[in-house]
Parts: sequence; C-alpha cells; structure tokens
Amino acid sequence: MTIDVVFLFLQQGVASGLVIGSVYALIALAIVVIFKTSEVPNFSQGEMVMAAGYIALYLLVFRSMPLWIVMPATILAAYAGAALFRRLVLNQVARANGSPVNLVIATLGLSYVLRGFVRQTGFGDTPRSFPPVIEPQSIMIGQAAVTTLDLVILTTAVLVMAAFFWMFKYTKIGRAMRAVGMNPKAAQLVGVDLTRIHMIVWGLSGGISAIAALLISPKVLMTADMGSIVTMGFAAAIVGGFTSLPGAVVGGFLIGIIENFVGLFISSRAIVLAPFVAIMLVLVIRPQGLFGGRVEIKKV
Amino acid sequence: MSDKSVLMFPRPKSDTPGLAKPGSMLLTQGALMALGAAALIVLPFLVTGYVLYIANLLLVFIVLCLGLHLVIGETGQFALAHAAFYGIGIYTSGLAGNALGWPFPLSMLLAGLVAGAVGLVIGAVALRMRDIYLALATFAFGEAMQWVFLNWDQVTGGPNGLRISPARLGSLEVLTDRQAYPVVVIVALLMIVLTVVISRSRLGRSFRAVRESDVAAMAMGIPVRRAKITAFGLSAFYAGIAGSMFATFSTYIHPDSLGFQTTILVLTMVVVGGLGSITGAVGGAIVFGLISEFLRQTPSYQEIIYGLILIVFMMYAPRGLFAFVRDLMGRMARG
Repeated sequence: MTIDVVFLFLQQGVASGLVIGSVYALIALAIVVIFKTSEVPNFSQGEMVMAAGYIALYLLVFRSMPLWIVMPATILAAYAGAALFRRLVLNQVARANGSPVNLVIATLGLSYVLRGFVRQTGFGDTPRSFPPVIEPQSIMIGQAAVTTLDLVILTTAVLVMAAFFWMFKYTKIGRAMRAVGMNPKAAQLVGVDLTRIHMIVWGLSGGISAIAALLISPKVLMTADMGSIVTMGFAAAIVGGFTSLPGAVVGGFLIGIIENFVGLFISSRAIVLAPFVAIMLVLVIRPQGLFGGRVEIKKV
Repeated sequence: MSDKSVLMFPRPKSDTPGLAKPGSMLLTQGALMALGAAALIVLPFLVTGYVLYIANLLLVFIVLCLGLHLVIGETGQFALAHAAFYGIGIYTSGLAGNALGWPFPLSMLLAGLVAGAVGLVIGAVALRMRDIYLALATFAFGEAMQWVFLNWDQVTGGPNGLRISPARLGSLEVLTDRQAYPVVVIVALLMIVLTVVISRSRLGRSFRAVRESDVAAMAMGIPVRRAKITAFGLSAFYAGIAGSMFATFSTYIHPDSLGFQTTILVLTMVVVGGLGSITGAVGGAIVFGLISEFLRQTPSYQEIIYGLILIVFMMYAPRGLFAFVRDLMGRMARG
C-alpha cells in the first residue's frame, strides 16, 4: 500500500464514515435520550428502526403514496407507537415491579413482537430496497467519491440533531426532560407530569428512529433482521459515554469512520466485528466513555 | 439499605402465608420430586425417539438456565454472553471427540473447564463494570464469539458448521437420542444437585448478599469482586457442560444457533420461571422449551408469542410463573 493509496483511503473512509455515522448518531441519540430519562437501555430500538422502515416501504411501494406524505406519516406512526408502548406497557411494568431490569426485558419482548410481525406480513421475506428517492449522482470531495444521496443523508441527520439539541436545551419540554433525568421525584414535586414526559421521550426516540430508517433504507437491503443496525447505535452510545447526548453524536461519527477504515484497511469480513471490539475496548479502558464524565459514587 | 443501581433485581418476597403448613409443603415437594424421578426413568420405555430428543433438549436448557440463574438470579449480575459459553462447550467437546477421540466424560469435563476458564477471564475484565455496561460488554463478547465460530474455518468449520462424531466410551458409541438420554439425565441431575449445594453454601449466601447490595456485602467482609467472578465463571462452566450434553446427542452444530437469540431464549426461560429460584429456572426451561419447540415450524408466530409472553409477564407477573401461581393459590385458599 503506497502513501497515495493510504491517503485516498483515508479521505474515502472519513467521507463515507461521516455519512453512515450520521445515521448511527441518530440511533445512538434515540437510545441515550431514553436512557437518560428512565435508565432503561432500549433493546428494541433497532426493531423500531426496522418497523418504521417497513411502514415507509409499505406506504411508498404498496400504497404508492407520494414521498411528502410518506415521510411525515412514518415519523408520526413511529412517534405514536413508541409513546403508546411507554404509556400502555412500560407504565404497567413499572407499577408491577419498579426494577429497571423488568423494563429492559419488556423492551426485548417488543423487539421480538415487531420482528415477528414484520415477518408475518410477508414483506420481510425477501430483501427489498427503497426506490431511489433522488437520482444518485457522484460528487468528488477531494479524492473521495460520495453521492448526492449521501449528502442529503448527512445534511438531514445533522439538521435533525441540531433541532433536537435546541429542543432539549431551550424549550420547556426539554428542560422538563432534563429535570426528570436528574431526579424524577423532585421533578414531579415541581409539577412535571412524569407519565407525559416519558411518553414524549419515547415518542421522540421513535420519531428519530423513523428518520434514521428513512435515511438508511435507500442505502441497504431491507430485511426483518435489519434491526441489528442497533449494534452500531449502542457502540456509538457507549463510545460517547451512554448518558451524554453530544457524546452519542460524536460516537456515531467515530463508529462510522472506524467501520469504514476497518473495511478499507483490514478486511470487509472484519467490519462486523469492529463495533464489538470498539465496545469492549472502550468499556475496558474508559468505561465512562469519551463524554461520560466521572463515575458517580453511589449512595447506599 | 437500598442501592438504586440501574439493573436491580426483584427481591424475592417471602412466600404468601396461608397456603399450606410447612410440613405438608415439604411432603408435596417430596411427592413431586418422586413423581418427577419416576417420569424420568419410565420415559424412554414409553415414547418415540423424537420425544426423547425433545427431552434431551429440555435437559440441556435446564442446565443452561441453572447457569444463568447463578449469575443473574443469585448474584444479580446482568451477563448476556451465555450462548457464547454454550458454543465454546459444544465446539470443545465436539472437537475433543472428533479429533482426539476422547471418551465423552472426559470431553464433557474439558468443555466445562474451557468454558469456565474463558468465563473467568471475561468476568475478570467485564465485572469492573456494572449494570448496563456489564450487560453491553458481555453482549459484545457474545457477538464477537459468534463471529469467531463463523470465521475460524479451520477449527469450527465456519459457515459450513461442524459435524460431531458420536460420543464414545471405550467401545460404546452413543448413536441415538435413546442412548444419549441416560447420560443427559444423569448430568442434568448432577448439575441440579450442584446448584442446590452451591445455593445453600457460604458461597451461595455471599452471591445473594452481593445481589442485594454489593456495598453492604463488602462492609460485611465478603470479597465482592471474587464472588462476582466466581459466579460468572461457574455460570460459564454450566453453559459449557450444557454444550457438551448437546454434543452427545446432536450430530451437527452451526454458529447461527449460538447468537444473541439463544442467550435471550435462556434469559426468557429464567425470567418466566421466576428470577432467583432454582424451581423457577428448571420450570421455566421446561415450560418455555416446550412452547419454543411447538412453535418451531412458524418462526414469525414464535417471535410474536415469545415477545408477548415476555411483555405480559413483565406487566402482570414480574416474579415469574411459579410465584404467580402460588399467589393465585394463596388468594384462592383465603377465599
């Protein structure tokens, strides 16, 4: 491998890594926002992405609806579905036994139901792909080749993240979410409606998952097992510290770039392994992640 | 004194009063055990090979569940790499039989020890973390191991899977499920007894102390770290033994069946049976193993029903099937 090739690979790896990484960052964001407010790692996040992708596919291909209806409809459906799951199922789970592990197992249950349901409809039997939404044209940035679709993906993801951060930091709802994350009881005392906030958090997380699904689906073959993309989201969240929203975003881009580097410099077979190695390395060397701050000392 | 850790485990409440007097309870338990033992003995004379295959499989699941019970139910450490250790057990005993022609008791022991040793190493690394981080680290290890099974072609056969030659002892060869059955039953019973012994020993008490609050346990002078690593290693040992049990009656293994799905299946069994009790682990393995076998032909229904069972149990019977039935009976007895 000459210097020229290395340089070319570096550019291409960073460019492709940022594009795919922006989707990982969205998924990581969706995971972390739930974890921050309810301490539940949502193991069904990947299936939420998958299910949203299939809703969009169904509307677009089998109902031949125009894109400007399909996109908001998918996001709304994911928002409503996730919020209802929180309200109808997780509230009852929390009432029956407050321990978070039960909530985690319930999310595992949801992931099975969603996957089985998509398989049952038959759309998931054969790998399908989205019809091309925009004509893919190649663009050179430096020596890296990207498509117009890639640029749309990256731009949309960054805009969504910016909007989310603005909401989380400056709006009343965002403040309420942060308050619930810090201390649910105190938040309730000052008048925050916990049930409502949890529903909104899950809804937003579902909506972000749907956006991630809309962005990634044109680039991959869709199957009922495409929820395994969540591994990348978890890896990104862990690299970022699992409780840090900016960390999740940085982690997403990092994982995207690492994945591409591994594919270009080592072997395409090793790509699958990259996130797990990243997870284990980060957890062993710096368990609190890049942005996790100090490990809390817990009161007994 | 409560430790608000992220993945805290349901505290087993004391049994509902008013169900039955302790003496008669013991009697029913004894009767149940005798009944179970009799069923296990007469089973091979009554049923077809297919049913015996299912029985063997259920016994493997029981041992897997006992292993997960030790680390999650007793010690409260949320480890998600059980399928990896199970796989290590299958491949170790399979390869020891294939390549070295070892008699099966030896290859079984080897499988348990190799899995246990890997478990100790991973435990020593992973147990620096707690809660969600431990769950994710062990999840990552499990997925990485599946990748190894799938890609280490020279040893595991990679995506072609591995043919396992029949288990041997001297000139005796285990060729059918019927022949494997006594071996599998005896090993499973030994593992159940071992679990009861561990649970009642000082070690088992230290596990539960760690589960309730590791800070309090440390203050009591329990070596918390050592207890956690021991539980983790033991759980891997159980999974390895379960793997070698599987290798005695199965002729083929493919890495596809050694992924996160299998870990979740075992977790489901333990949870549905009731976290923290041996009866729960064994009963969950039987009930859920049967359900999963009946639904094997229709994978989509299987997934939906698994999912619904998990959700409904978490909503209405978080302490598991047996606690739920006991509560119900207690309520009925009181009118």
